[in-house]
Amino acid sequence: MADLRINLAGIESPNPYWLASAPPTNSGYQVQRAFEAGWGGAVWKTLGEPIINTTARFAAVGFNGKKVAGFNNIELITDRPLEVNLKEIYETKKRFPNHAIIASLMVEPNREKWHEIVKRVEDVGVDGLELNFGCPHGMAERGMGAASGQQPDLVEAQTMWVKEAAKTPVIVKLTPNITDITVTARAAVQGGADAISMINTINSLAGVDIDTWNTIPHVAGKGAHGGYCGPAVKPIALNMVAECARNPHINVPISGIGGISAWRDAVEFMLMGAGGVQVCTAAMHHGFSIVEDMIDGLSNYLDEKGISSVQEIIGKSVERYSDWGNLDLNYRIVARINNDVCINCNKCHIACEDTSHQCIDMLTDPNGQKYLEVREDDCVGCNLCSIVCPEDGAIDMIELPQEQPPMTWNERQAVLAGYKDNEREAAK
Amino acid sequence: MSASQEYFEEKEKIDFLFYRGFRVTRVTENLDGAAVEFERTGAAGQEKEVLHLQTADARKYFSSILFHQQRNLTPAE
Repeated sequence: MADLRINLAGIESPNPYWLASAPPTNSGYQVQRAFEAGWGGAVWKTLGEPIINTTARFAAVGFNGKKVAGFNNIELITDRPLEVNLKEIYETKKRFPNHAIIASLMVEPNREKWHEIVKRVEDVGVDGLELNFGCPHGMAERGMGAASGQQPDLVEAQTMWVKEAAKTPVIVKLTPNITDITVTARAAVQGGADAISMINTINSLAGVDIDTWNTIPHVAGKGAHGGYCGPAVKPIALNMVAECARNPHINVPISGIGGISAWRDAVEFMLMGAGGVQVCTAAMHHGFSIVEDMIDGLSNYLDEKGISSVQEIIGKSVERYSDWGNLDLNYRIVARINNDVCINCNKCHIACEDTSHQCIDMLTDPNGQKYLEVREDDCVGCNLCSIVCPEDGAIDMIELPQEQPPMTWNERQAVLAGYKDNEREAAK
Repeated sequence: MSASQEYFEEKEKIDFLFYRGFRVTRVTENLDGAAVEFERTGAAGQEKEVLHLQTADARKYFSSILFHQQRNLTPAE
């Protein structure tokens, strides 16, 4: 059986699955139950000056029969006194010394306040700290969370203040509510972060009730934006992890967060550079026991690949992620319909005809049977037909032999510069 | 006419000029595609042809030829 242990910036845990700082890690009771279920670590629900919450707090966005495609919350950080949380952290760590407990922290952007909370939290034996620079609602209106996480100078300064006092590894959790997350990631690194984690939740309004005209959720008829997470955000999170992982100036470990619901998601994040993953929505939807399948699935995957340690897959796909300008323009795939499998639903034809390149013909064979056929010369290999096809194996995307050797857009532009008047002049 | 047919027609014109010994001397890309100027010096003196390429595949095709001609001329490659 493969070794699932990880070491993220010096924080060791028996497997790469940590519960993210959120409602599932609100108390010692919950975190201890999570560890019993098999979770490798937990990022304790954000500690700071205890807040007052509203009801309601959560809303889900369903899609096509899936109840929780996305999840929205307006809950704030812990509403319990620091002393109570610290006592439970101490007890939990004592009971589970080999599991990782990371304290998520949020205070005002003030050096003394950061020093104070870091010292008090480290005194009870946490394995690391995670600075919450990402919470997008409520706390941001008070100048904390995403409000400070959107300003690179504040990210750097606050990280530096924490590092002045911290003895344990410091993870900076970043907000996705920013144009380029590598900017704030670099600021965290400049400030001395030992690791970064991403993504926190995305600004969102889950919906509007078209009968009452209230927002979803609403609090006595009023709503406010919340933070969006769950499976729907995974591609956004995965890209942000990958962008940081391939940035040579961001040379610290990454804890991946965002829509991770199964072992496959975890593998994807780790291949794209995450040293471990954090999970929240899936646990809220299905309970702590989902980690059993996540552990088994990951273990089997590694065994089947002949990989002895999960740490060996970290970052293995990063070099395959680049800028559009570095993609080969002469690489070509086309769709091919397997008529033995095709059920003639015509969804591919409709999609191609209406919204793509009109290259799937509806034909009739000599026996009067209808069939679909791709005109490969006109197919641009967009994948749309295979995406909309409801039947597995009915459409394959086939690689064609390259008629021209590889050439990227950047290479093309470089060679054409020598043939363009304005660029020739500029080069003189 | 299908997109591929448009491309094949433009490709044929590009291939024909290269076949006849023309070389690309100037490229102007604009909103309407690419104007590619070809020249050759023959018995009749300097000859010039201009192709207005509209299809993406043809614009990719001629630039691929230029790119690989240049690569093959580079000793280090």
